[in-house]
This record gives sequence, C-alpha cells and structure tokens, in this order.
Amino acid sequence: MEILLLLIPISIVLIGIAGVTFVWAVNNDQFEELDRHGFDILEDDPGEK
Amino acid sequence: MTLSTISVNDMHCASCVSKIERTLRELEGVLETHINPARRQVLVEHADGTDTATLLARIEQAGFHPCLTSNPRQSLRQRDLLKRLGIAGLAMMQVMMAALALYAGAFEDMDPSVRRLFEITSLTFCIPVVAYSAMPFFSNAIAAWRTGLNMDVPIALAIACAFAVSLAHTLNGAGEVYYDSVVMFTFLLLTARYIDDRLKQRFDMSNAALAALPATGLVLEDNRRIPTPLVDIATGSRLWVEQGNQIPLDGRVESAEATLDESVLTGESQWVSRACGESVYAGTLNRGPGFCLRTSATYDSTRIAGIADLANRAQADKPQVAQLADRIAAVFVPAVLCLAALTFVAWQLANPEKAFVAALTVLVVSCPCALSLATPAAITAAMTRLRQTGIVLTRSDALLQIARVNAALFDKTGTLTEHAPDLVDVELLADVGVDRDGLLDIAAALQRHANHPLARAFPEPKRAVVNDARIVPGAGVEGRWQNREVKIGSGAFCGLPTSDAEAGIILALDGTPAARFEIADPLRPDAQPAIEALRRTGVRSTMVSGDAADRCAALATQLHIDYVARQAPETKLEITRTLQNEGARVMVVGDGINDVPALAAADVSVAVLESSDLVKSRTDVLLLSRRLGALVDLVVVGRRAARVIRQNLAWALSYNLVAIPFAALGFMPPWVAALGMASSSTLVMLNATRLLRVPAWRPPADSVQDVAPGS
Repeated sequence: MEILLLLIPISIVLIGIAGVTFVWAVNNDQFEELDRHGFDILEDDPGEK
Repeated sequence: MTLSTISVNDMHCASCVSKIERTLRELEGVLETHINPARRQVLVEHADGTDTATLLARIEQAGFHPCLTSNPRQSLRQRDLLKRLGIAGLAMMQVMMAALALYAGAFEDMDPSVRRLFEITSLTFCIPVVAYSAMPFFSNAIAAWRTGLNMDVPIALAIACAFAVSLAHTLNGAGEVYYDSVVMFTFLLLTARYIDDRLKQRFDMSNAALAALPATGLVLEDNRRIPTPLVDIATGSRLWVEQGNQIPLDGRVESAEATLDESVLTGESQWVSRACGESVYAGTLNRGPGFCLRTSATYDSTRIAGIADLANRAQADKPQVAQLADRIAAVFVPAVLCLAALTFVAWQLANPEKAFVAALTVLVVSCPCALSLATPAAITAAMTRLRQTGIVLTRSDALLQIARVNAALFDKTGTLTEHAPDLVDVELLADVGVDRDGLLDIAAALQRHANHPLARAFPEPKRAVVNDARIVPGAGVEGRWQNREVKIGSGAFCGLPTSDAEAGIILALDGTPAARFEIADPLRPDAQPAIEALRRTGVRSTMVSGDAADRCAALATQLHIDYVARQAPETKLEITRTLQNEGARVMVVGDGINDVPALAAADVSVAVLESSDLVKSRTDVLLLSRRLGALVDLVVVGRRAARVIRQNLAWALSYNLVAIPFAALGFMPPWVAALGMASSSTLVMLNATRLLRVPAWRPPADSVQDVAPGS
C-alpha cells in the first residue's frame, strides 16, 4: 500500500496539468463554435471562385 | 410613452425577477414591466418623463448590476461557466475514485492511515471545486441578503455546511466525510446551468442573426461604388451587392437576376433566384454574381428589423405557466430552509448524531431548481427550434395555445396561394371612350392604393393619376380619374349583375363595367400536402375567401378542404366564432387587413411574411417561410412542447414530494440526495433540449416539384 504515497501525489499533479490545459484551451477559443467548423469543409473557398 | 430595454446579468431566478418587478412598479411613471429571465432582460414601458437613469439606479439599489444595451459579455459568461464546469468534472472523477475506495474500505476494514490518505486526497480535489467552481452559487447567495431569497441560498448553504463538517472531521481524524456529495452536487448543478445557458445563447443567436446587418452598403453613383453607412442611405438609392455579401437593405432587384440564400429569414437552405423587379430582403445572402438593387426601406424599417422587434417582445412576455412555476419556487425556497431547520431540531431531540446529516439531506434534496427550470427551458427550446424552419412567435404563450389547435381557417389569396399573381388577360366589356392600354393604366393607378395581394399583378402605372382613392374592405378601391368616378374590384362592387361565373377583377368607369382582368394566382407548392398533413394531425382546415364560389370550389377540390366563398371580413369573424362555440380551438392564417378581425378572435393567429405590418404586429405567429409546411411544424412542435412542459413539471413535483419524507426520516445518504436533486435539474434541461431536434416536416417527395438549386 506504500505505493499509494507515490501514486496519489503523481495523480494530483497530472490532474493539475489537465486542469490548467483545459483552462488554457477555453481561454484560447477552443470551445467556441463547436458546431460550425464541421461544415467548413463543405463551403467553397471564397478565394477560388 | 417610452420603451426601455435593460440587461440585468445577475438576475438568475424567480425571486430576483419578482424583486425587480416590485422595485420598478413602485416607481412613479412606470406603466408596465416585462421581465425575461431567459435573456436576463427587463423591458420597461414608462412615461416619457421618467428617464432610464432613474430606472437603472433603482435596479442597482435593489442589489443588481443593470446595463442599458444588450449584453456583449454573453460568451465571456459562457466561458467562465465552462471552466468552472471542467474543473469540477476533473475533480469529481478523482474524488469519486477515492470515495469508492473509502466505501470498499468501510466493509473490508481499511487501515486507518490509508483511510486518512484517501480523505486527504478527496479534500485536495474538493478545495478547488468549493473555492472556484461553486463560487457563483456563493456570490448569488450572498447577494440574496440584499435582494431577497433566491434558489442559490439553499444550494450554497448545503455546499458550505457539507464541506465545513467534512473538513472538521478530516482534521479531527474521526467522523464521516461528504466530499463526494459536495463535488457531485456542484458538478451536476453546473451542468444544468451550462445547458440552460447554451439554450438561451442559441436562441439569442438566432435572434441576433435577424438583427445583424452589415454596417455599410455600397451606393452606386456615376458608376462608382461608394461605401456609405446604412443610416445615411435613403429610400430609393441604388446599391451594389457583392457576391457572398449580405443584402444591407430591403429593395427591388435592378439587375437581370439575383441568386440568394434566404435561410436567415425562411430557414430554407435552398438558394432562390429573384428576377428584375422582385423584392429582396435585408439580411439575406447574395450567392450569385454581384447585382444592383433599389432600396425600398431605411435601415430601421427593414422587414428583418421589424421581425427582430417582434421576436424580442415575445421573449419578454412570460407565459402564465412559467409565472405559475415562479410562484411555486418563490414559496418553495423559504419552505425548504424551514424544513431543513425543522428536521435538524427534530433529530436533535431524537438522535443528535444524525441531526446534521438529515438536515443537510433535506436541504439538498428539496431544492426546487428543476421546478423553476421546467417551463422556461422548454419554451426557449421550442422557439429556437421553430426559428430554424422560419417561424417566429411574437407571443411566447401562444405556444401553449398552438398545442390545442384543432381547426384552421385559411384566407385564400396570398395565403394558400403564392404572393406572385399574374395578369393573364384583359377583356373589354363596354366602350367608355378609353382604349385597352388606357384602361389598364387606370386600373394600375387604382391598384397602387389597394393592399389586396392580387393588386400586385398590375404593372406600375404610366400616365394615369387617380385622386381621392379609398379602399372599400372586402370589395375593392374607388377613386376619381380625370373627374370621372372609377372603381376596381369584385363584380358586385362595380355594378355587374352578381353571378359567380363573372369571375375576375372588374374596372368600372362612372358605374359602367369597362374591363375584366383575368388574374392567375398559383397555389403555394406544398399547400396540398401541408393541408393533408395538418388533417392527419387532427387539424381540420377551412378556406374562407371573398372570392367567387367557382374559383374557391376549384381550389378546394384540389386541396381537399372545406370552403366558404364570397365572404366579407365580418363573416370571417363569425365563422371563427361559430367554430369556437362548437368547441374548436381555431388557428386563423391570413395576410391582409380584411383578416384582422378574424385573426384577433382566433386562438392562434398566423400571418405570412408578405402580410402588411399592421397584420404582423397583431398576430401570434409569423411565417417567414414561403412553405405552408411550416404550419405543420408549428402544430407538431407546439404539441411536443406542451408535452415536455407537462413531463417536466410532473417529474419535478413528484420528485420533491417523494424525496423529502425519505430525507427527513434519515433514510437517504447525502450523496443520493445530491445525485437526485442535481440530476433532476439536468434531466429537465435535457428533456427540453429534445425539442431542438424535432425533425422538420417535409412534403412527400412525389407531391411537390422541387425547384432546382439556384447555384
């Protein structure tokens, strides 16, 4: 069971990293307009026409 | 009288709404308030003497932070909520893992030191949830000291108490911990709030799309294109619309042809083409090559601006059912707090050890969140869904009426038929000293004063000028031309012996019928399958028209619909009343001034896009789509919405009634209470979002000829 003393702090650090990454992603518009980008490939490139 | 729109971003619940309502109504000069918690908006009708600064100050005194314009920080709010939700989610996974170990340990004799390790782990992950994710609940609860009780008070109290007691137990190294309940409760409540926010945002976006016009237009002058702010563009200017750009103002096409994407108005993604002289509307997209148009409206009188106004008004009206739920919630919050206190005292006498847990459980389980979310969420979802197929509700409680509609009255011309009548033949009836072209010109000049849809079949008048023109409702137009009395309209109106075979529009000079104009008016392409689909959903359709009987009969057989021909506006009203007396809920679909009495009497009134402004401002529902199939959508979504509201209310009420006794008697661990209460809020929200996915009604493929895409 002593291994828990090592593993739990590691998991806390990893979750901390995940949390920071998530906040970074939200702040950098990664979660804005989740619906639209899927349709982008269907649109003609305005420059080509 | 003035109308002011005020945004109050920290207005969250029923109690806030009634608080603001009361504060404003006490103010002198305030006539009426419409509060829309979904958009966090307050619409105030007030006397001209009362300035908006006073209103703002008053709301601020009540403990809120009002601002005048609509809220540009909506997406910031959403972001903030998403971060809090994400952190709570990550923490919840960890705390649950530790909690599982603790539960297992309780049965298997876990070593006390390992147990403590897991408790400290849970505490570590619980701290950011309480200190960050749950912060909105705390700040709203603290604000409640100034604004009166709101839904967040019991929530914040539950989170704070559970966390404080768990912390104390961890530090002492003895006693139960409730970190798992705290984290799960916060996470699920945030989820419900996040869905609620997304829903409101989607609705706002569909409304904002209506109001979002480009800031400038390209005015054509001496073959140069001058970018000009829309505010400065006068009616009748010539504008150039580039390929791929939005049309900035309503107008008529002056180039040979234009290919447009009108989906913002009609919800139909298929491109349409508009020939020279046809009307195009601001907000639609030019998908073909650039074209020239002559404007027919200024920036604040465009059709789209009018629709956006109507849509906003609807959102501000709270339906009766929502008010009912609000009243229940306003009573519930203090009741919940009393109940929790009572439970605590009762257990203190019986078994002090269990007093805290039981009181906490009651506090958590009985929070009436689901109850207060039930109706507004469903209505917002249904209205968003209807916007997608080009239907705007101008009164939100119309939705509940729609669910009960079982009869429909249709106006014929312009409603069942296209708004594009065609003049196919001119027949001279008597010699009145004017030739064929001259008569046509007089007719055209007279028809300029008419608002009947068939009047659009006539060309622009060339030379003829008509004075003293006057509309005779249900009959035609009369006026003076070169000092001779001229009339245009039905045969009877123009002195022709009444006989139904004498169909067409008659022009009379000095009481002598002079010419007959034959006008073809094609049916809307999906009229027949739409009427059939309505019939199958249990809505009986009747066509009511002022037109001759034989024309109505021909159409009626084609549509398999009952009809009443040769009706004056008053009789339309009578027919509506008769149907209502027979117990029917009547939907009246019309477009003209002559439909107004019947529309006013109807249970649900529907106007088509081409209706005159007077008609549009008086109806409950506006069809932006040219398809009558939108009516089928309207009825289907209305019924679904009513069902979702009933389900939500039934669920929320029965959940509270069943769960409270269990919690008070101590049969329920706190984590079950947290799971039950928060997931019932989430469930209600998810049930409402089902309305967004009601499929659009499409006519069976063989019944309508598809128009080829205009690309």
